[in-house]
Amino acid sequence: MPDRIADIWGRRTPYGAEARWPVRVDQYLEDGVAEADVEWVRSACVLCSNGCGMDIAVHDGRIAGVRGRATDRVNHGRLGPKGLYGWQANNSPDRLTEPLIRETGGRLRPASWDEAMSLVAERSREVLAERGPLGMGFYNTGQLFLEDYYTLSLLVRAGIGTPHLDANTRLCTATADFALKETFGSDGDPGSVTDIDCCDTIFTIGHNIAETQTVLWSRILDRLHGPDRPRLVVVDPRRTAVAREADVHLPIRGGTNLALLNGIQHELIENGWVDRAFVDRNTVGFDRLTQTVAEYPPERAADICGVPADDIRAAARVIGGARRLVSTCLQGVYQSHQATASACQVNNINLLRAMIGRPGRAVFQMNGQPTAQNTRETGANGDLAGMRNWQNPEHVAELARIWNVDPLRVPAWAPPTHVMRMMRYAEEGSIRFLWIIGTNPAVSLPELARIRSILRQKRLFVVVSDAFRTETTEFADVVLPAAMWGEKTGTYTNHDRTVHLSERAVDPPGAARPDMEIFLDYARRLELTDKDGAPLIKWRTPEECFEAFKQMTRGRPCDYSGLSYDRLRGDNSGIQWPCTDQTPAGTERLYADHEFNTATDYCEDYGHDLLTGAAHERKDHSAMAPAGRAILKAAHYLPAHEPPTDDYPFWYTTGRTVYHWHTRTKTGRVRRLDAAAPEMWVEMSPADAERLDLAEGDLVRVESPRGRLKARVRIGGGRDGVVFAPFHYGYWDMPNGDGDGGSGNGDGNGGRDRARAANELTITDWDPVSKQPLVKTAAVSVTKVTEGGAQAR
Amino acid sequence: MKLDNAIKGVLDAEAALAKRLLAVGERHAADHDVYHLGHTLARQAADHVTRLTPFAERYHMAPPAPPHAGDSHGILETLRLKRSQLMGRAESAGMLLLRELRETYLLAQATEIAWTILQQAALAVRDGELLDVISTCHEQTETCAKWLRTRIKETAPQALAAG
Repeated sequence: MPDRIADIWGRRTPYGAEARWPVRVDQYLEDGVAEADVEWVRSACVLCSNGCGMDIAVHDGRIAGVRGRATDRVNHGRLGPKGLYGWQANNSPDRLTEPLIRETGGRLRPASWDEAMSLVAERSREVLAERGPLGMGFYNTGQLFLEDYYTLSLLVRAGIGTPHLDANTRLCTATADFALKETFGSDGDPGSVTDIDCCDTIFTIGHNIAETQTVLWSRILDRLHGPDRPRLVVVDPRRTAVAREADVHLPIRGGTNLALLNGIQHELIENGWVDRAFVDRNTVGFDRLTQTVAEYPPERAADICGVPADDIRAAARVIGGARRLVSTCLQGVYQSHQATASACQVNNINLLRAMIGRPGRAVFQMNGQPTAQNTRETGANGDLAGMRNWQNPEHVAELARIWNVDPLRVPAWAPPTHVMRMMRYAEEGSIRFLWIIGTNPAVSLPELARIRSILRQKRLFVVVSDAFRTETTEFADVVLPAAMWGEKTGTYTNHDRTVHLSERAVDPPGAARPDMEIFLDYARRLELTDKDGAPLIKWRTPEECFEAFKQMTRGRPCDYSGLSYDRLRGDNSGIQWPCTDQTPAGTERLYADHEFNTATDYCEDYGHDLLTGAAHERKDHSAMAPAGRAILKAAHYLPAHEPPTDDYPFWYTTGRTVYHWHTRTKTGRVRRLDAAAPEMWVEMSPADAERLDLAEGDLVRVESPRGRLKARVRIGGGRDGVVFAPFHYGYWDMPNGDGDGGSGNGDGNGGRDRARAANELTITDWDPVSKQPLVKTAAVSVTKVTEGGAQAR
Repeated sequence: MKLDNAIKGVLDAEAALAKRLLAVGERHAADHDVYHLGHTLARQAADHVTRLTPFAERYHMAPPAPPHAGDSHGILETLRLKRSQLMGRAESAGMLLLRELRETYLLAQATEIAWTILQQAALAVRDGELLDVISTCHEQTETCAKWLRTRIKETAPQALAAG
């Protein structure tokens, strides 16, 4: 097999429209382990939202490799570089293997589970007694399994009774979730990955597919390099691998997505590239949309976005001429200015052209994380379990009935609290207990000096569950060692609603436990009960939890009622929800009948004003009466909150490299992946570099009004005036420790000379609808520190 | 004809609302959404004043003072901003925010009804141009009030029931 660090997408297997994507099985086994000596255990990859089917190779009780599953509907055997090599983190010698408790002196010392959990329960009871449920906060991840999430959701919503439960999916897919709810009435991506196989046009905005979902990009590349090549329109300020394949590339100015999308819709409507019969029959809001986008002729959009008007026309012409259009977007939209408003316009484009619910016709509001979809379905984030509407008393009552609790027990007086608001409550001192599960906010949230100063407060009791010590565990009062993927059984769902089962292949190291077991222990210690005094949580095993979950989803958009562990172990690898007794094979596309989930009694959300986030109420939704029609939402462009200035002349944007995941807790421990991208860098355009007299490898200081970092410069082909920084790098693996982590010198910027995390510079600001932090919208300055050779390591 | 009266009613209400939104945003800068949306909506209210001003002359009203657009950071704003950052760690911040959002909501409601009054009068005198301006501005003012209502519903439980 080729070196998949250099050859990221692997060998091409070109195919034409409506052909089957050829199988190519990617496999990697540890040196010295023969295929004959391993046992294969069924699983799926957890290193991006594509969720490729894979088998885990077990040798001598350890994970010794992986292979893509040839029969899987998502990947046809392929794996990306992170999937192939990332599992090695499981075997890392520095896994957390026992609970830790912070001593009075500040050091973390080993403890037994009983001692650690007693302390967590005792502190919880104190806070509940002193401050009530609103003093308790829980912040989890997009990395657990469905069963972990659902247990947590029930525990927090009906047991603790607080709305303060969110996940780091707030940073990745909150906008996808909200854009789908605004337009289609409920969450759930309508399309299927097989739509790539038969589309004739792909429109992608703010989505570096080549690095975020490498196997999905392989599929697209195989179409692009096969017969009947689809046309490709790409919007990205950087010249990414995706942009290099484009027919039309629009490297727009940061924060101007909405103006561009309005400009494109202006052209679609102006030129009659609209399916009026579909729009009239199946949507509401066309007149308002027409009125709004009328103000964005290509010249005006060009002026705002900083690209030629003719290029906008060319993009619109390609989209307008498509017969089978797949549109996708991701963080370039979700983490940027006017996020939900822009994401809704991508939905609009497909709706204007009736490109929905049929083969090759789909819009993907993409996910980032492998199990993000499950936080949304279980209600372990900003949603209510089973895609129920927190503003609909019937939905809340139904959930309370299923959970056997008083409806008043379920916090439904406002939307579930988003993480930035939870941090604010911790900052002002009204949240005093914060449990952080499988995520690393001390590196991943914006404006890190502020986040550190919040987590450092003595009055805040911090519990962290993780597989490794991280920058965040340095602020913890109690650290709980968690089992990882491969060490527990459970299910998860990818971005085209494909559900996979992942079996426990090996035991967790030392005393580490699956998250679900930790939650069950906590619920027992707090003696959480239902309204009849029986234990609130009725299950003990992942399978029992899955059975309870699927009953809870019956009749809702994410209906799992036809699924079971046995069915997921069957020959057809990967089954898409909704899956019911009537549709046992699953459902390839939502909305095939063009009937959307917008009936007032059924919908998951009544919608919002896109500019302010003002929540519509039931009466507003009834008055609009979409009743199964999709909602075309319109919004005007507004300038971003922190435009470049004389002092901070560059637009700062953060993003990913293909070799790393999140804050590198896993990928930084895998030799090949780490070696492929070992240190922080920033990317600038050739013209900007020349102006500042910078050569590749020079060390620069990048500053925003909130902080600074130092990094080496890479010169890339992006738009002038843009500084790109990867968000992966923190401090845990720097020499002498943690930068400014908890055991640093405590001034909030202690590792100043070594500060390198991208979020030192980002702004505390979030989208008014999805509440997704806007980490692609800051202004920064760049100063040369030393020439490349001088300080090379 | 006393339309000047109704126009003045709107202009005064919008100017007061703009000023208040700006002040609340600055005072609660540690609540970042209030800061940003306070500024955005203050600019919108100021823009309403600008759009309505040409009609003042048409209906014989003395031209109003130009509105405070909310872009410049005067000394007062800077002081408020500093104070809010210091206040950010106090638990009373939530109660203070709730009170100020409530007051701002009432101002937004006062502005909304001023537009309604002007709209009724504009219908009676059949001034289509004025009605066009009213239609956009009135809806935006309603949305501003709705945002305040949403934010108040989120704030009240934590401010009143936690601790």
